[in-house]
Amino acid sequence: MRERTIGLLLAVPAIATIALLYMMPLLASVTGAFETEAGFGLDNFIKARDLYTTDILYTLLIVSASTLIIAAFSVAIAGYLTLGENPKAVAILRWLYRWPLFIPFIVVGQVLRTFLAKNGLMNNLLVAGGILTPMQTMSFLDWRGIVIAFVWKQTPFVTLLLAGAMASIDRATIEAARNLGASRLRILFEIVVPQVRTTLFVGMVLSFVTMMSVLSVPLMISAQSPTMITADIAFRINAYGDYGVANALGMISLIMTMAVAIFYLSHNLKEKAR
Amino acid sequence: MTSAAFLAVSDVIVGYGGNTVLDRLSLSIERGEFVALLGSSGCGKTTLLRTIAGFNRPQSGSLTLAGRDITLAAPDKRNMAMVFQSYALWPHMTVAQNIGYGLKLARKPRHEIDARVEEIAGMLGLAGLEDRKPAALSGGQRQRVALGRALAVEPDVLLLDEPLSNLDARVRLNVRHEIRALQKRLGITAIHVTHDREEAMVMADRIVILDKGMIAQQGAPHEVFNRPMSPFVAAFMGAENIVDLAGVVEGNRVEIVEGPSNRRAMIGLDGRRLSSGRVEARFRPEAAELVPASATAASDRNGAESRDEDALTLLGTVEQTSYPGGCWRHVVAVGAAKVAVDAPTAIEPGTPVTLRVPAAALFLFDAPGRGAEPVPRLVAA
Repeated sequence: MRERTIGLLLAVPAIATIALLYMMPLLASVTGAFETEAGFGLDNFIKARDLYTTDILYTLLIVSASTLIIAAFSVAIAGYLTLGENPKAVAILRWLYRWPLFIPFIVVGQVLRTFLAKNGLMNNLLVAGGILTPMQTMSFLDWRGIVIAFVWKQTPFVTLLLAGAMASIDRATIEAARNLGASRLRILFEIVVPQVRTTLFVGMVLSFVTMMSVLSVPLMISAQSPTMITADIAFRINAYGDYGVANALGMISLIMTMAVAIFYLSHNLKEKAR
Repeated sequence: MTSAAFLAVSDVIVGYGGNTVLDRLSLSIERGEFVALLGSSGCGKTTLLRTIAGFNRPQSGSLTLAGRDITLAAPDKRNMAMVFQSYALWPHMTVAQNIGYGLKLARKPRHEIDARVEEIAGMLGLAGLEDRKPAALSGGQRQRVALGRALAVEPDVLLLDEPLSNLDARVRLNVRHEIRALQKRLGITAIHVTHDREEAMVMADRIVILDKGMIAQQGAPHEVFNRPMSPFVAAFMGAENIVDLAGVVEGNRVEIVEGPSNRRAMIGLDGRRLSSGRVEARFRPEAAELVPASATAASDRNGAESRDEDALTLLGTVEQTSYPGGCWRHVVAVGAAKVAVDAPTAIEPGTPVTLRVPAAALFLFDAPGRGAEPVPRLVAA
């Protein structure tokens, strides 16, 4: 009994830190979402709905699309790292793919802004190469630019997780499939990916949550309407000092990430039950 | 090496980096034969199997299967199926999916796959487990699924990479016989890699002993067991007791010169490759007859001058006894050497004893590293 008390006492500083620095601000933000001039109510949410429904859907679409594209690219890259038969190509890819991990989101936004603009580097190259005429060029600085930035930045992260998981599966399971005549593509999708699907799923959920919270990329690439929730929250606070609607928008993005987290957890439980 | 062999490995060199693992190795295997590749770890046996399977590419040499050159053929173009040491079952597939995957890859129609899976599962005692995942199977069942997966595609050659080493001892004994019986019934050619001598002996038609990337000896189990051609093979076949002797070869016999711990003996050469000089004698613990020296003293008096014919008698002292089961094991000091000898009854440590090793169980080799100069005492004799 005494030991239990001591154990609890030892955990108190940690619990207090979490309560003060994490739970309190979160609760303040949640209650803030319901605070209006006329007391507690749903006014902030109604206003958020009226003004930002397009942006909410826009955010959901951009982040979901990015997550799926990231998954596709990381499966392709990690798959090549695992099954590639040209050692030099594998070594080069292994060296290259991690670079975006070390570049901050804001820099990614800035780099892609100069690259994707109507008279940016990409279009200049295409025109110089005779592929496009200057009249045909167009700016990618809209939802496509945001998706490209997210994919560019997050693919290495999911690839890193996935390549690690693929490296730790029993090589003999791959050889056994090769032995029976499976092509590399079939081995990737029928043997390798099913064995690392939990890791892929974790990477996708973490990427989803990360992208939901990025402000710099939408601000750098496409801050005009429609834009992402993060840009709207910043705008509500910086331009109007409107913490109520900002908190309501925060709640909405929290609900979106929670939905993904719950989906992930229930999937995980089902896996374990099997 | 005959060109008519079903599977022929000719002068194959395989290496990793600068390291040569197989050094100009040649081996031929007949159709329907069960061959065990036996050796300690690092001898190249798994590399040889993987080269035959197509997972390793030889730097030089060639492989042919039924007259077709398969040296550079992809693993799936050889019609061989491998059973892996780890079983390598696909954890996300059921037993039926694991067994049927090779047929699915071969684009066989659905009903044909189902029928074949059912047949294989029945044959291997897996009926009723088809819908389970590998994680829900015992070690022996997993091993049979791995075997079933390989057999389902009706390969010309079945490659077994230490498939029994992850099974517990009792299951292993059963599976040995099951695999052997199945191989005979299906008439399939099988190559089995193992480091377990007894496993190789009971399963294979022919044992190929590998040492440092080369074949040390090959032959039927009883041949390799009873006629080891080198100290390495003798040791691998359980003849770990070593005694240094001196011998003089005369015609088709060798005379073992009397020494401080051995009597004089005449042993028929009987195919042994031996020359006069220092001789390394090897024998198994169960091959020697152990008798207290006092018991033999009487009979010795009659023929003290006579020599032992076709048996070697060693003199020693029991140092230690233990009971591993079945018989008593004695550690006997013979001169500077310590040898292990089995006997039905225990003899007290400290007792002087004689060991009688019959010629048939006595393996004699030229002592390693002996120079050209003969032993001086032999010259005098």
